[in-house]
Amino acid sequence: MRVVVAEDNALLREGLVLLLTSAGHEVVAVAAAEPEILPALLAHRPDIAVLDVRMPPGFRDEGLRAALAARERIPGLPVLVLSQYVEESYAAELIGGGASGIGYLLKDRVGRIEEFLDALSRVAAGGTALDPEVVTELLTRRRSTPLDSLTPREREVLALMAQGHDNTTIASALVITERAVSKHIGNVFLKLGLPPTDIGHRRVLAVLAYLNNAANLNND
Amino acid sequence: MRQAARATARLALAAGLALFSLLLITVLEITVIGAIAVVGIWLLPETVLLIRRIAGAKRGMVAAWTGQTIPEAYQPITGPLRGRLRTAVRDPGTFTDLRWMAAYYAYGWLGYLALPLWIAGLPADGVWCGLLGRRPVVLPLICRLADLDARLSVALLAPSPKARLTERVEQLTQTRAGAIAAHSAELRRIERDLHDGAQARLVALSMRIGLAKRAYDHDPQAARRLLDEAQGHAEEALAELRHVVRGIQPPILTDRGLAGAVRALAASSGLAVTVRADDLDEGPRAPAAVEAAAYFVVAEALTNAAKHSGSSRAEVGVTRTRAGLRVLVRDEGTGGAETAGGDAGGTGLPGMRRRVAALDGTFTVTSPAGGPTVIEAELPCV
Repeated sequence: MRVVVAEDNALLREGLVLLLTSAGHEVVAVAAAEPEILPALLAHRPDIAVLDVRMPPGFRDEGLRAALAARERIPGLPVLVLSQYVEESYAAELIGGGASGIGYLLKDRVGRIEEFLDALSRVAAGGTALDPEVVTELLTRRRSTPLDSLTPREREVLALMAQGHDNTTIASALVITERAVSKHIGNVFLKLGLPPTDIGHRRVLAVLAYLNNAANLNND
Repeated sequence: MRQAARATARLALAAGLALFSLLLITVLEITVIGAIAVVGIWLLPETVLLIRRIAGAKRGMVAAWTGQTIPEAYQPITGPLRGRLRTAVRDPGTFTDLRWMAAYYAYGWLGYLALPLWIAGLPADGVWCGLLGRRPVVLPLICRLADLDARLSVALLAPSPKARLTERVEQLTQTRAGAIAAHSAELRRIERDLHDGAQARLVALSMRIGLAKRAYDHDPQAARRLLDEAQGHAEEALAELRHVVRGIQPPILTDRGLAGAVRALAASSGLAVTVRADDLDEGPRAPAAVEAAAYFVVAEALTNAAKHSGSSRAEVGVTRTRAGLRVLVRDEGTGGAETAGGDAGGTGLPGMRRRVAALDGTFTVTSPAGGPTVIEAELPCV
C-alpha cells in the first residue's frame, strides 16, 4: 500500500516508516507539520493516511482537523488517526462523516505490530478500527440503557464489533465458533432494537450511532 | 407608638451596653497595669477579643435597627502569645474599637433620654393627637434618638480603609498559602505516581529485555516469553503516563479550549447535558490554572450527578464575568449532595472546594433533600 505519514516527533516518525516499509508498504511522503499534510495527500493520493493528532504549529488537534479536511477534498480517503490519548468526542467527529475507512487508535497500539498492521489494512479496505479504550468508554459510561440487559458475552461481542472487527476475528478472539458469534450479534441487535445488518462498517456505524445516541445527543 | 416602643427597646439595650462598657474600663485598667507589670501581658489579647465582642454586639444592634450591616474587618488572633500580642496591638480594628468605645461613653447615654420623653410624650401626644387629631410630636423624637445613636455607631464602627485592606491582605496570604500547599501536594502526588508507576514499569521492562538478550541463543522460547512480558510492561507504563498527564492538564483542554473540553465532558458523561459556554470562544483564554479548575469542577460535578443524583439530565453553564469565570452545574436529581458526598476524601465536593479556594475563588453547593443540586464556582482571573 502507498502510505502518507504525518507525525512531528522524529523518533516516532522514523519508527512508523520503518515498521510500514518492513511490512511491505511504501511510504510515499512524510509530513512533520500540519501545513504539509494536505498538499502531500493531494499530490500523492495514497491508499491510506496515518496522522498524528497533535502537530505543529499549534500542538492542538491539527492532525484531526487535517484528516477531516482531507476527507472533504478526497472523499473516501482512508485515514488512520493516532494519538497519545483517546477522546470520545474526537471519535464521534471522525465517524461523523461516515465510519468507512476511519481508524482512531492510541499510539501504544503500534507496538502490537500484527494488530496494528491488521487495523491498517482494515481501514484501507474501507473498514473501521476504533481503539478498545474508546469503545470501553462508550460502553461503560451509559446508565440504565438497554445495554444493561446484555449478557457479559454479548457485551464482549458488541465491544469487538464496535472496534471494527469482523465475525471471524471476533470468533477467534473469544475462542468461540462463528455461528455462536452470529447468534450473539443477533441477540445484541435485537436487544438494542437495531435493524439487523451484517456488512462490515455499516454494522459498526449502527452500533456506534446507537452508543452515541443512547445518552448524549441532547448536547448543543 | 409601636415604632417608639421598638426604638425604646433598642435604646434600652444600647444604654445597657453603655453601662457594661463602663465596667470594661476597669478591665482595661487592670490589663494596662498588668501589661506594664509584664505578668499580666497575656490578658491583652483576651481583652481585645472582649472588646471585639462588645463592638460586635453593637454592630448587631445597629443592623437590627437600620437593617444595614456594618462590615467587620479583624485579623484573627491566634497562634503563640507573641503573635497574638502583635496582632492585638497592630490590628487597625483594635484602634477603631477603642475610638468607638471612648465616644460611646459620651453618646451611649442617649438611651436614658427616652425615659423622660415617654413620661412627657404619653400625656402630651395623647392629648395632642387623641383629642385634636394631630400627628404625634414627642414620641417620634424617641425614634430620632435611636436613629442618631445608630448613625454615630455606623460612623465610628465601620472599619477604616486600612483595616479592610489589612483584612484583604490577610485573606490573600491565607489563600496563597493554601495554593502553595495544594501545589506542593500535587507535585508530590505526581512524583509518587511516576515513581511507583511508569518508572517502575520501565525498570521491569529493561530487565526483561536484558534477560531476553541472555536467553536469545540458548532458549529462544524463554526469550520470546520475556519479550512479551516486556511489551506488556511498556504498554502499562504508557497507560500510567497517560493517566498522570490527564491529572496534570487534561489534553483536550489544550486542544479545544474550555468550551470544547466542557462539551466533550458533557458528551461522555452518560447524561443528557445542556451546555451553555458560547461566549468563552471569544476573546482571550483564561489562565491555564483557572481553566483546569473549571474543567475539574464540571468533570467532578457531572460524575457525581451521573453516579448519585438519580437524574438523567443536567445543565452546565460556563460564563465569563467581569472578574473571571463562573461555573454552574445543575441536575434535577434527588439532592442531599452535601451530606452524602462529603466522604470522598481527595475528590468529590471537598476536592472541588479546595481547588477553587486555592485560586481565591468561591464555591457553593445547594442541594436540598429532594433536589435539585446546584454547584456553583466563581473563579477570578487575576
